[in-house]
Amino acid sequence: MSTPDTTAPILSARGLHHSFGQTEALRGIDLDLQAGEVLAVMGPSGSGKSTLLHCLAGVLVPDGGSVSYRPAGRSPEKISALGEPERARLRLADFGFVFQFGQLLPELTAADNVSIPLLLAGTKRPEALRRSTELLERLGLAGLGAKLPGELSGGQAQRVAVARALVTSPAVLFADEPTGSLDSLAAENVLTMMLELVREAGTTVVMITHDARTAAYADREVMVRDGAIGAGYRVPA
Amino acid sequence: MNPGLFKLAVVGSRSSWGRLAGIAGGVAVGVCLLLLLWGGANGLSARDERGAWLRETGSPSVSGPAAADDPATSGPGTPVPLTAGTVLMEANPAEVFRDRLIDRRDVAALGTTTVKIPGIGKPPPPGSYYASPALQRLIETTPRDQLGERFGTFAGTIGDAALPGPDSLVVVTGATETELRQHGRATLVSDFTANPYGGSAAAYNTVLCIGAIAVFFPVLLLISIVTGLGAAQRRERYATLRLIGAAPQLVARIAAVETAVPSLAGAVLGVVLAMMLRPAAAQIAVNGTRMFAADLTTGPAAAAAVVAVVVAASALVAGHRTVRAGIGPLGVTRAVHEKTPTAWRIVPLLAGLSAMIAAVLMIRVLEVRLTWLESPLLIGGFLLVLAGLVVIGPWLTRLVSRMGLRRARSAAGVIAASRIQKTPGATFRSVSGLVIAVFVVSVFAGGASVIEATDVPAARAGLLQPTALHATVGAGHTPAQAAETARRAAGLPGIRSATVGYGPAALAERDAGPEIYLRAADAPGLGFEDIPAAETVAVDASFLHYWRTQPLALTPAPATSLDGLVPVVIFVGTDGTPEAMDRARTALNGSGITAIPATSPGDFKLQSSTRLIRGLAVLAYLGMFVAIAIAGLSLAVATASAVLDRKRVLGLMRLMGMPVSVLRRIIVREAAVPLLTVLLLSVGLGFLVAWLMVTFIDDSYRVAWPAPDYFIALGLSLLLALGAVAATFGLIRGTTAVTSTRFE
Repeated sequence: MSTPDTTAPILSARGLHHSFGQTEALRGIDLDLQAGEVLAVMGPSGSGKSTLLHCLAGVLVPDGGSVSYRPAGRSPEKISALGEPERARLRLADFGFVFQFGQLLPELTAADNVSIPLLLAGTKRPEALRRSTELLERLGLAGLGAKLPGELSGGQAQRVAVARALVTSPAVLFADEPTGSLDSLAAENVLTMMLELVREAGTTVVMITHDARTAAYADREVMVRDGAIGAGYRVPA
Repeated sequence: MNPGLFKLAVVGSRSSWGRLAGIAGGVAVGVCLLLLLWGGANGLSARDERGAWLRETGSPSVSGPAAADDPATSGPGTPVPLTAGTVLMEANPAEVFRDRLIDRRDVAALGTTTVKIPGIGKPPPPGSYYASPALQRLIETTPRDQLGERFGTFAGTIGDAALPGPDSLVVVTGATETELRQHGRATLVSDFTANPYGGSAAAYNTVLCIGAIAVFFPVLLLISIVTGLGAAQRRERYATLRLIGAAPQLVARIAAVETAVPSLAGAVLGVVLAMMLRPAAAQIAVNGTRMFAADLTTGPAAAAAVVAVVVAASALVAGHRTVRAGIGPLGVTRAVHEKTPTAWRIVPLLAGLSAMIAAVLMIRVLEVRLTWLESPLLIGGFLLVLAGLVVIGPWLTRLVSRMGLRRARSAAGVIAASRIQKTPGATFRSVSGLVIAVFVVSVFAGGASVIEATDVPAARAGLLQPTALHATVGAGHTPAQAAETARRAAGLPGIRSATVGYGPAALAERDAGPEIYLRAADAPGLGFEDIPAAETVAVDASFLHYWRTQPLALTPAPATSLDGLVPVVIFVGTDGTPEAMDRARTALNGSGITAIPATSPGDFKLQSSTRLIRGLAVLAYLGMFVAIAIAGLSLAVATASAVLDRKRVLGLMRLMGMPVSVLRRIIVREAAVPLLTVLLLSVGLGFLVAWLMVTFIDDSYRVAWPAPDYFIALGLSLLLALGAVAATFGLIRGTTAVTSTRFE
């Protein structure tokens, strides 16, 4: 297991502001993430946690403030200042995403779904399928590579989504309620496997959750209330 | 149904308005085209009824030995006297101006005649004529020596009620009884027929029916595609309604009503559009003439029927689709998986082809005429082939996509091929309109190629020259009269030669010989090269047959002098310009000594059954335009629908960093694979069906390589497909934008 570099944060947000019309979703958030850290973002519905995740990942450009990304071995980039093509390239190459549901292409097999990011990155298909199958096996899905998403259980489908998010070995994984649609047993299963892989690879994780038990898997929790980091968050021991 | 609930369900969001507008717009275009096509069919029928009197053949004007134009059996006979209840009429089949055929009727009547000629009334006196307005305009704007001198003095115009269309070229000239009896081809008419189509009615109706089906099919496809617009989004809303307590029947009713409302608005708009476009549509020339705008009127009952059927059908289908989808409170509970298409899908296509082949074999090989069976077999077969193409499409598409998936190397390739393989029916449906359009175009192009195949041969020694005209001389005219006519013609601008051919008797008479005699010095003017060393030469009378392909040789005439022979034909060689050709025609036809108007080898294209094919070719290009335009529209709508239905998953892919260019490539592949898979089959089947159709009409026709227009149409289809797909690129960018996905 790699050791997180505590000296230089891999992601830094400073003074993040974002509004949707008259509604202020983020009101000056400052946040640092260390490489390899697993961060749980908690908060009630409408508190701004998903907006925060999307600003950090370069999905949204904040109205105010900045997001900086410092990849290992490369010069830092100010995500909030990049154009959409550059942010898309960054999301594809450096970030991974897991959502609550509906993220798998229903007509593609599990293995093909996982291989898509590799194909987009230019990997040859046989190699992409080999790596996908390997990762699926590590996530307990051996022999299910040829199944369609509709033929998998919710937990299995979510593990396929995790495999797809991790197959390119991203530096940061963004997970928006990754176990929100699963029962507790399946949720625990998915989380355990996902975190085992990310900790082994030293991947940084930003995970949004409502569930305190899910948050307990993280190294650190932050609570977002009314668009700001609120009191009552847990820091690493 | 609660109006508030209905309002919320139907127009709950801005995107609902867009979808409703899409359905209404598509239905409006479809209904407008349906009504115009229906009107067009009515118009053709009305036109044929108005022109029916021109097909009147009358009864023989002589009793005793039969037809005057059959030298083997004709003879002097006894003239049937002209009475007050009859007119003597000669129908001239080959009165040509430029490349247009003029319907000419020469009539002679007693002063006391009670016979009325349609559109005129009392027959014109000798030396005068009545012309259709279009012909009179031509006469007035053309030098008299090219047209006007053929007919005499203008007496009046023929009324619209007796004309097929505003461009019809019709003339009724007055003649003396003696003149017409001398030609030997006049008949007695007591009443003009109102029976349209004449002898070709069955074939004409059958082919017309097939043309109408071919054009209606893409229109129906368009309506079907637009009413299914945004189906996935609607299913989500229905699930919400189910969650808050709406019963499945209520949801089905909402689905039916929410499709019926924009369909009704679109259908009414379509009726208004059709009324507005009627005058413009009437300007399209079919079978050589435009239509009167009133011909295209379908009447309020037909318009109401189209509106009612379209609205009811779209509502029923929408309701049925919703019930079939099994929408529960948590969404679609019963996944509507496409049944994997199997090889059985080839059956309708084979059945259709078999029916058409059976119809042709029955008539052309077995020579059995069962009119009650022929047309149903041909039309039914054609319908089955059309449906068969749509049925076999998904199977072929799936076969190709399976191969494609194995070879796919890129993300776009894998995603597109996987989707096609799982949903071959839905994927093929988006291009089915274009596939049908290409098939229809190929059928019509194949039919139209018949004309090209039988085109005029190039100039060749020993055959009639394409730039020459000839007119047979009526009985009783002297060599001096013929020589004078030839001399006058030779002096006209653009005329290179004028030659008189002789024989023992006029060609229509029993004593006419098998050969035509000429002065050897005149032979080069007819294009002969090997001229025997004799003063007079002979050529077989079949030299006058335009269909002759084997050159004839001159032989020395048995007599050295033409004395004692009568003039039977006058040949005029021209420089080939339209003006010179028409000058020669006018000089010959106005001379008063010719029995049949002057013709050139190219005139046959304007006559007889080839006119039917020519008319259909025009109809074909009209159909082609409509079919391709609709198909392009359908493809754009279907592609947009495919993007909208996958909005969430495609949006998430973009959010994860997939470039929009990859999404574009996916959409292009999803359209290209089914289109290119079935395109070749469409083209091949189109020409096969065209061949079966023309053979059904006449087995002497041959389908040849199509005109360049066909390849232009094919290219246009592919361009249109590209354009239709490209038109959705903006939609891809907008609906899958990361911001809209995030906050959906």
